[in-house]
Amino acid sequence: MRDRFGIVFLATVLIALGAAAQPDSTASPSVTILETQEAQSILGRDVRSLTDEDMGRIVDILVDGEGGVRAAIIDFGGFLGVGNRKIAVDWKALHFVPAAGKRYSVVLELTRDQVKAAPEYKEGKPTIVLGASGNLEPLP
Amino acid sequence: MTEPLPPSPPHPSGRSLGRLDWFVFLVADVQTGFGPFVAVYLTTQHWTQIEIGLVLTVSGLVSLAGQMPGGALVDAARSERIVAGVAVSLIAASALIYATSPIFPAVLVAATMQAAASCVLGPTIAAISLGLVGYAAIGERFGRNARFAAVGTGLSAAVMGAIGYFFSAQAVFFVTAALLIPALFVLRGIVSAEIDPERAHGNPSGQPAGKPRAGLRSLLRQRPLQIFGCCILLFHFANAAMLPLMGSVLTTRSSQWATVLIGACIVGPQLVVALFSPWVGRQAQRWGRRPLLLVGFAALPIRGLLFATVTDPYLLVVVQLLDGLTAAVFSVMVPLTIADLTRGTGRFNLTQGVVGTMMGVGASLSPTFAGYLSDAFSSRVAFLGLASIAVLGLATVWLLMPETRPPARSPSLNRQAVVGPLP
Repeated sequence: MRDRFGIVFLATVLIALGAAAQPDSTASPSVTILETQEAQSILGRDVRSLTDEDMGRIVDILVDGEGGVRAAIIDFGGFLGVGNRKIAVDWKALHFVPAAGKRYSVVLELTRDQVKAAPEYKEGKPTIVLGASGNLEPLP
Repeated sequence: MTEPLPPSPPHPSGRSLGRLDWFVFLVADVQTGFGPFVAVYLTTQHWTQIEIGLVLTVSGLVSLAGQMPGGALVDAARSERIVAGVAVSLIAASALIYATSPIFPAVLVAATMQAAASCVLGPTIAAISLGLVGYAAIGERFGRNARFAAVGTGLSAAVMGAIGYFFSAQAVFFVTAALLIPALFVLRGIVSAEIDPERAHGNPSGQPAGKPRAGLRSLLRQRPLQIFGCCILLFHFANAAMLPLMGSVLTTRSSQWATVLIGACIVGPQLVVALFSPWVGRQAQRWGRRPLLLVGFAALPIRGLLFATVTDPYLLVVVQLLDGLTAAVFSVMVPLTIADLTRGTGRFNLTQGVVGTMMGVGASLSPTFAGYLSDAFSSRVAFLGLASIAVLGLATVWLLMPETRPPARSPSLNRQAVVGPLP
């Protein structure tokens, strides 16, 4: 019991110290206003190929240590939840086209035939990323 | 008590039986609206994979843990019709929650509600059937239920797949919720007085209420039930991952036709079930349960072997039709065998829950096992692994499972247990 109190106390002190160490926590943050055409959420967005094939939808994004976006995970293929596979595609192979409507259309520079045989993305395992030129690039 | 005729066999009206057909059909529609669309829909609502995984895990755990309490509840209920109405309403309500407020706490409640209500709804339909027609005709009735469920599942898989594709995943949930109205309407049409609650629980009919039921422990100690439970566990262990794995193989092999082929793999077996299950129900009364169980089980390792060797995508769809044969047998044999084993115990529905739990355990082991084999080796090895589990299950039925069909024309104990003493 006493140990737990000790830990809680220690944590409180550390949080307080951390807060104190933050530079100028009272100053208001800078504000940027993005128009809806400028930036949008892309999670769950449909992906099409250059020839307008259904390429599934974006379900996750992989980011490296520098904060650069390396790959998008698309949920590809299947019907009624059967046979769909998660595949990592190179971020550079994805293009976001501001459409006339409210949403970007997301275009992938790959075809269904190129993507279908790609190995599935598994968390905690080296990711094999499918690039536009067809070359396979492992994430560091 | 040496009467030559059984006393007062149940005489359910054609209207009640017809409405039960429709209820089974509509419940299958409502249930198809869930499963596959939840993940797709939540993805379109900007949910992360972690949140979706959490919701699916919670609903999986609830539907596993809820099986036995669900069955016990159905055994305790005096009106199976009301239980069925409440359960189907809860499922429709959760569809409406999904469609209107896709936020985490609401969806978690909806998923839990849907899973819990499904644990009750399955046994209730079997209980209504048994309460209506009694033991003498129950094989055929379960066959009919399987037919209407298969038509419902197959049809709504196609229709809702199309709605999801052309409109949105959200529209699928609205359609699902709207199906509640016809479901309640046909449920009302089943004449309540024709459902004998005691018979629905596996007691002799006309039994005064409040008779002490067999204890759970004595039930679980029954050797045939233990063996049957193991068979069901092994069956789902071998079966559950086969279609998803095959679907993923199809996706890698065929690009343009994969979606259509996978659709055929889902709908095709349902057609086979719709065609064969009433026949299975009739033959089960004539031949007994064992031969049919053996045939249904034997199709499973054959399917696994063929999936491991056949590469042509179109042939794979043909092989998948074997799934229909297996499903036709199991969708009739599971409730029928349980009805056999629980005669006179008043625990028909609790026992359905016990077997349902075994099914859930098997079905949750299956993808893990197959996933490991296909990652570490190949999908071919995974199919062979599943096929060998199926062989194990087939051997269990062959060597250990006794025939559970009661001797048909013996005038003594069994008839007593079936129709009960004269009032």
